[in-house]
Amino acid sequence: MRVSEGVPDGRIAELYNPEMFQKHEEVIVFTKEEFNRTYISIRKQIDYINKIGLHLDRSEEWKLIGYWPKIMQNVHRIDMNMDLIFKKEPIQSYLDAYLYDNIQSSQNKVSVSEKEAITKIKLSNLNLL
Amino acid sequence: MRYSYGIMDRGKIFLYKAQLFLKSKDLLVFPSSDFHKWHSDIKEYVDGLYQIDFSEMESGKSINLTELNLAVGVLNNITEELEHLFDSEKVSDFSYHYVSTLDDKYKKQRSSYTSDMRRCDMQIHVISEEMKYKHIMEIVDEANRDFSRAFKEGRTCRLSKMKKKDHQ
Repeated sequence: MRVSEGVPDGRIAELYNPEMFQKHEEVIVFTKEEFNRTYISIRKQIDYINKIGLHLDRSEEWKLIGYWPKIMQNVHRIDMNMDLIFKKEPIQSYLDAYLYDNIQSSQNKVSVSEKEAITKIKLSNLNLL
Repeated sequence: MRYSYGIMDRGKIFLYKAQLFLKSKDLLVFPSSDFHKWHSDIKEYVDGLYQIDFSEMESGKSINLTELNLAVGVLNNITEELEHLFDSEKVSDFSYHYVSTLDDKYKKQRSSYTSDMRRCDMQIHVISEEMKYKHIMEIVDEANRDFSRAFKEGRTCRLSKMKKKDHQ
């Protein structure tokens, strides 16, 4: 999606990449900090579920009885976060603390790709073995 | 979350609710139609996950591996959508727009805390013959103590009465 950062200046916001948008196009504006927190929170929930999926021994299906409610809890959190984007209430993820919470402006570094995360986990498993 | 719509005008954005933003805070700006489409796409996937959960709950059976794989697949789709948000080359598909109408009853949270766990936490003992005997003996002891106390008091009462009679 086309995206740009900017800074507010009174009723007007200055953009870093104004060429991204068309003339007289309607835009939606968030504060970077709040959006960042929601976005990271959603990614954390997804990572958590993926880890459960990866580490579950496929021969031990019965363990799913315990894991499934946990997975659904995380799905619920994703849903809450998505709803919060268009709500006036302060966002819940302000209560979450992340030690490495320095997202950079570079577009490539904003999201870690799924494959990369999986290979990393696999590698760490190999090291353990 | 604080958000405002705005309109692009001569390389700058005219904010409708500029009072929400502090001067020092950085802003993120998306085209509103694209953003709504992105939001609805993710909501669709999340609703899908709720549906997997509900079908499992309704059938009364526990979840199986096929359904877990399905859920993980849907999650991968969400991850892709999240990545597309910052991919400026990705063009949104406006051929349809999902509006979430999933009832809240399907979103009910079930805790993983089962009755077996509760039994362990509350330390509910199974009543054995030995415990029954102990319990009866405790009652007998208590009765014995009460009885002996009453007996002693009765005797002292009688003694004092007898003493009074002697004086007279």
